[in-house]
Amino acid sequence: MKKYFFVFTLLCGLSITAQNNTIAFGEKLVFSASYNMSGILTDIAEVKMETSEVKTSKSTLMRLKCTAATYKKWDNFFKIRDLYESYVNPKTLTPYLYKRDISEGGYYKFMQYKYNHKAKLVKSLKRKKRKDGTTWDENKNVKINASTKDIVSTLYYIRNLDIHKANPGDQQDFIVLFDNKETSITLKYLSKETISTKIGSKECYKLAISIKGSDVLKGSNSNLLWLTADENKIPVYAKFKIPVGNGELKIQSATGLKH
Amino acid sequence: MGKKLIIILGFIAAVLAVILAVTPLSNLAVIPIIVAFVCGLLIIFMSKKDKTKTKSIQYIFLMVIIALALTIYKSIYYTSEVGDIEQLEQRDEENLEDSKELLEDIDIDEDL
Repeated sequence: MKKYFFVFTLLCGLSITAQNNTIAFGEKLVFSASYNMSGILTDIAEVKMETSEVKTSKSTLMRLKCTAATYKKWDNFFKIRDLYESYVNPKTLTPYLYKRDISEGGYYKFMQYKYNHKAKLVKSLKRKKRKDGTTWDENKNVKINASTKDIVSTLYYIRNLDIHKANPGDQQDFIVLFDNKETSITLKYLSKETISTKIGSKECYKLAISIKGSDVLKGSNSNLLWLTADENKIPVYAKFKIPVGNGELKIQSATGLKH
Repeated sequence: MGKKLIIILGFIAAVLAVILAVTPLSNLAVIPIIVAFVCGLLIIFMSKKDKTKTKSIQYIFLMVIIALALTIYKSIYYTSEVGDIEQLEQRDEENLEDSKELLEDIDIDEDL
C-alpha cells in the first residue's frame, strides 16, 4: 500500500512540475480564422500566437502572446483588435501575469490577473471604457485552485502534455480563470488522424474540447483541435460549432519551432 | 396562386442576395442568387404557359445580376489582408512595458 502511495505521489508531483520541452522562445504561429457555412468559407480574421523572452532584474519569463485582427474587408463593419498575453515560467509554463486587452467593434475591455501561487490568490483588475471615452477600474481578489491557469497559458500547457502516452478516450480537466470565474474545461483525446495543412500533410492528435456548465461551445465532440503528433505539437486546425455553421482556425505558417 | 408564391420567394431571395453581396459575407450570396435565379426561370416558364407578361422577372434578374457581379468582383479583387494594426502594436508595446514593471517584484518559484 505504501509503495502504491509513493508511486501515486511521485506521479502527481511529476504532473505538477511537468517540464516544458515543447515551446521555445521566438516561436510564431499564424492562423486564419474563417466562418464555414455548408462548405462556403468566409475569411474573418488573422490570429497570431507568439512567444518571446522577457527579462526582469530577478528572472527570465516567457511571454505568450495571442493577437487577433480582422481582415480589411471587415474593418468597416466589425473591427476586432484583440491582444491576449500571459507571462509564464519558461520551465513549467506556470503563469504569473495575464493580460487581456480587447477592442471589438467599439467595445473595449482590459483584464489583468496577477497570480500569487503561494496564497492561491489572483489580483484581478478590470478596466472598461465609458461612452465618453473615460475609463473605470474594478479591483478584485479571486481565490483560485493550485492548478488554475488563464486561457493563454492553458493553450500552451495543453501542447506540453504527454499525449503520446495517452490512449484514445482518455480525458483530462483543466481549470481556466476567465472573467474572474473559474471554469472547468475537459479535453478528450479521440484518435490519431492525418490531415493536410498549409505546412504540409501532418499526422495529428485529434482532441475534443468541452466546457462544463456553459453553452458557448455546442454539441459533444464537435469542438475539435488537431495537434501535430510530433514533439512540437503545433495546433494546426481547430473547429468550433456555432449555432449557424462552423468556425474554423487554420494554420498559415509556423516558424521558430523547438524541434 | 403558385405563381404568386414563386414571385414573392424570388423577390425575397434576390433582395437577400444583394444585401449579402454588399456585406463582407459576399460569398454566402451565392445561395440566394441560385434560389432567385431558379425562381426567375420558373416564372418565365409559367408566364409562357399562361401567355401573360410579368414585370417582376426583370426586377428579379436585375437584382441577381447586380448581386452576382458584386460577388464575383469581390472574390477576385478582395484578398485576405489585415488592415491597420498600428494601434494594436502600440497597445502591445505599452502592455509589455507595463508588464515588465509589474513582474519586477515577482519571484519565480522553480517548483511551480
